[in-house]
Amino acid sequence: MSSVPASVTRLIEALSELPGIGPKTASRLTYFLLRGQSDLPLRLAESLRDLKERTRFCSVCHTITEQDPCPICSDPHRDHALLCVVEEPLDVLAIERTEQYLGVYHVLHGALSPMEGIFAENLRIPDLLRRVREGGVQEVILATNPTSEGDYTAAYLLSKLGPLNVRVTRLGRGLPMGGDLEYADQVTLASALERRQEL
Amino acid sequence: MHIRSLSLENFRNYVRLEQELPDRAVLLCGSNAQGKTSLLEAVYYLATSGSPLSANDRQLINWTAKKEGMAHIRLRAEVVQREQVREISIVLLLEPDTQGRQRLKRRVLIDQAPRKRRDLAGELNVVLFLPQDVELVTGSPAGRRRYLDDTLSQIDARYSAAQGTYTNALRQRNALLRHLAEQGGDPGQLEPLDGQLARSGVAISLARRRLINALSQHAHRTHGELSGGKEWLQMVYQPNFDLTRPPGIVCQTSFQESPGPPQGISDQDLVAAFRQQLRERRREEVERGMTLSGPHRDEMRFMIEKMDLGVYGSRGQQRTAVLALKIAQLAWMKQETGTSPVLLLDEVLAELDQHRREFLLAQVDQVEQALLTATDLEMFSPSFRQRATLLWVEKGLIQPYER
Ligand SMILES: [Zn+2]
Repeated sequence: MSSVPASVTRLIEALSELPGIGPKTASRLTYFLLRGQSDLPLRLAESLRDLKERTRFCSVCHTITEQDPCPICSDPHRDHALLCVVEEPLDVLAIERTEQYLGVYHVLHGALSPMEGIFAENLRIPDLLRRVREGGVQEVILATNPTSEGDYTAAYLLSKLGPLNVRVTRLGRGLPMGGDLEYADQVTLASALERRQEL
Repeated sequence: MHIRSLSLENFRNYVRLEQELPDRAVLLCGSNAQGKTSLLEAVYYLATSGSPLSANDRQLINWTAKKEGMAHIRLRAEVVQREQVREISIVLLLEPDTQGRQRLKRRVLIDQAPRKRRDLAGELNVVLFLPQDVELVTGSPAGRRRYLDDTLSQIDARYSAAQGTYTNALRQRNALLRHLAEQGGDPGQLEPLDGQLARSGVAISLARRRLINALSQHAHRTHGELSGGKEWLQMVYQPNFDLTRPPGIVCQTSFQESPGPPQGISDQDLVAAFRQQLRERRREEVERGMTLSGPHRDEMRFMIEKMDLGVYGSRGQQRTAVLALKIAQLAWMKQETGTSPVLLLDEVLAELDQHRREFLLAQVDQVEQALLTATDLEMFSPSFRQRATLLWVEKGLIQPYER
């Protein structure tokens, strides 16, 4: 048997750890990188290193950022009394793309799902409640995904935010049920923000 | 309604089948294990988006297809209802989930447009009768609940939706209760789930009560006829959360079995009463790590006078009760939808005596379409065989039967 160089096996193994990528796809990707003439492997290596070394989570809103607090949290022109709660950092990007939202964010890093072992204490929920309790926030927009987990999380947050003297709204319907915010088109998302409803 | 054509891909014995079906009676003949029952199973799957025979959909994938890495199933039927043709199809596809695990995903399409599972309601209605259905009387309560769910979901999209919500909320809630018992955490996380459970649970329980009352009335008549007026069958709903006597709601006592909740009590009152019960038992539920009240613990019993057929009935009595139940289901579906469901009979004649056999075959003549399987054609009268379309099933292929 021919022995495959360790650097090749190591990359195949690492790629197979990614979600949705099996050993077959991992090998295909590895040999693609190996054969190519471009500097793609080097660019990839550099971005991966930067990803790990230069990005972190914002200590205020928990989105991904290269500076802490993130540019959104440290922007004095944004409305810090308006707080939009989303599941993932990518949801922040989706809402930013609409160019309609001028408030700030809070990223939960997931949605409640006991079946998958995700409980309130595993999300940035205690931190959200602390942020609101500290004052200054007038409205919280619950922009979790329109899935059963997203709705569950929103209902739970409402029960916790209710007594805190803050206006709580939910993104307007019209987002496809069961979908992810991340994939909603800009117009739909902008109109969902526009038509948010008091809970 | 009737199925005009059926096509199956990689389902059980069938690698690929394109079959046109006439209305009226279709007799599927052939030896055992050739694909007769699988054909009925596929039709049932299209009607209910679940197999009556296997809880694990992966077992439905054709063995050769699986071996060759073709891990998908496609079921499709053209259904004629009130002179309109609709195409329903269900595709099962192995796909990696967010964690990268291979999961069998189900896609429902109606006239080629992606739809939800509940949208199947009313598109294809069936009454299935299998030899092992006697277990509906003798077997576990879970089988009876599944029967009630499948029957209601077939015609009522709202029931189907409530059932989906309930199942999901129940799973989440049980996982949360276990977590609270083992590691602690905020019990407030139960509240939204309690709300979902109560709202969908009340809808489920109300619908089941109406269904069982209706089936019981129909079956009572049929069973009386079948037994020559000697025995009178009754089906009794034993709900875990009794909406006719909601706790905390004082109502006038009545000695009669009431068909529904007390007068003047709204659905919201019932939901509130259900939530109250969940709150009262919360400590016990956290201790045991599971949800203790709700329709997932409902029961239905088959009774003759004061005798419970599931426990004390003879095999013959139990079979007659199931026959009466299925005929009742047929009548109920027709009454609710205004169209006759497709009757699917799998080798059931062998289990019945001459009198009951004739009774059942008389039903076949009443519906627009019936698919029957048989290893032994002698079970059917010559005139019935003459009226029916005969098809020969062998190794997942179907041909006209050479008379
Ligand atoms: Zn930030």
